[in-house]
Amino acid sequence: MTILSINNVSKRFNAGSSNETVALQNINLTIESDEFVSIIGPSGCGKSTLLRVIGDLIAPSEGKVSIHGKSAAQSRLDQDYGMVFQAPVLLEWRRILPNVVLPMELAGIPKPEREKTARNLLAQVGLKGFERHYPWQLSGGMQQRVAIARALAIRPKLLLMDEPFGALDEMTRERMNLQLHDIWRESDTTVLFVTHSISEAVFLSTKIIVMSARPGQILEVIDIDLPRQRDDSTREDVRFFEQERAVREWLRRAESGG
Amino acid sequence: MGREESWITRWLPPIILFFGGIFLWEAAVRGFQIEQFLLPAPSVIAGTFVENFERLVSIGWFTTKEALGGFVIGCTAGIVVAFATSRWTTASETLMPFAIAANSVPIIAFAPIVNNWFGVDNPLSKMVIVAIIVFFPMMINTVRGLTLVDAAQLELMRSYAAAPSEILFKLRLPNALPYMFNAFKIAASLSMIGAVVSEYFGGNRSALGIFITQEAAQFRFANAWAGIIIACIVGLAFYTVVVLVERLAIPWHSSVRGNNPGG
Repeated sequence: MTILSINNVSKRFNAGSSNETVALQNINLTIESDEFVSIIGPSGCGKSTLLRVIGDLIAPSEGKVSIHGKSAAQSRLDQDYGMVFQAPVLLEWRRILPNVVLPMELAGIPKPEREKTARNLLAQVGLKGFERHYPWQLSGGMQQRVAIARALAIRPKLLLMDEPFGALDEMTRERMNLQLHDIWRESDTTVLFVTHSISEAVFLSTKIIVMSARPGQILEVIDIDLPRQRDDSTREDVRFFEQERAVREWLRRAESGG
Repeated sequence: MGREESWITRWLPPIILFFGGIFLWEAAVRGFQIEQFLLPAPSVIAGTFVENFERLVSIGWFTTKEALGGFVIGCTAGIVVAFATSRWTTASETLMPFAIAANSVPIIAFAPIVNNWFGVDNPLSKMVIVAIIVFFPMMINTVRGLTLVDAAQLELMRSYAAAPSEILFKLRLPNALPYMFNAFKIAASLSMIGAVVSEYFGGNRSALGIFITQEAAQFRFANAWAGIIIACIVGLAFYTVVVLVERLAIPWHSSVRGNNPGG
């Protein structure tokens, strides 16, 4: 079933002025439910812009986004998607539990239910016992896990993630990748994941979209030929290296301008 | 470092400095035989303090009430105006330059005029001066706190389809609290200064500012000094109360918790 379809989406910043930049040009994309799709590309290729257009945080200059057959605006209002940003973006005056509760609070879910859900989610991301901590008491990786728990709180059909592990060290990042993979497999969530790490993209994805920069366009869609379930041994799989090489090849072309 | 030890290392130096200062003052007055009307010795001031304790407390309380009244009126008005104008960006952008300009005007200079408006004996005239003095820092800081919100946090609220009222109460208001407590601290100090100094321009006989000027005019300098010390104690107490409330209200903020990262 198609969960996300993007038709002819373009985005120009400062349109009409001398410093007009074309961030996205004629993006066409369909994503089926239960997929894990990564968007990879050189910096400034409009990956984050595309994610924001899908989330109706910015409006496209042209084209249409539909999530589950609804407009992007309507699905934002219906809280159909959860979003994880580059930074954890926690509310520093709220303890960890109320931070995870926030989206459910805004959705009007009753208090006992939302607290129970938040506790379960925190346990799921390995943060049981930190409910009453403040964000500043947690490390960057732990804060990002709180952000993931928060994004999952409204059981989104679609999870939009904008380089969520970009600021983490390599080992933490690999551990978080594994955790995210398990979460994705256990839930019925489709993930759209922006990254600039090739190995992260290959490890997590069922499909990788390679974008080129200025104007941001889709260069290639690569199906990842790896078993659906991934674990630590995946990184040693020969096919893992082959896929990595393929993605790297396309990224080179993307950087040299297609 | 143990808890006890850090408490001592933190508080011992200021305590030594305080009593050392008093001792030097006393020693200087005696050693150089400084005249009473120039600078009374701390022991003499302490003597008059004990002697006139009840009177000093009653006049101190009179002026404290003026300061408190002005503080409450001025802060409330500042917060209300800040919330009202932050709702309409153009309104706050129009008002802010004026507020910032007014904040650097010595409002105390208007004290004789305000005394004339509300009556020199009327405590309300002092409250109005205090209220005007504290209004501007309160309003400016609250507007800043309500508007200087992290763009990513706004985006987060938008992604969850938060209504404007939810963004105000769940994001802008908590974001403004540290700014508001800064303003409360400024206002606490200013309100006692404002009340005492505006009494220097005339006022009720049972007011602290009047007591200080009259005792000084009649060469009872030890009494005047005792009055000044009352003003200092009240000002410090006022400030301390605000700091304690701040600790309870925003324990999460870096100004309260310090900058040491946790485990």
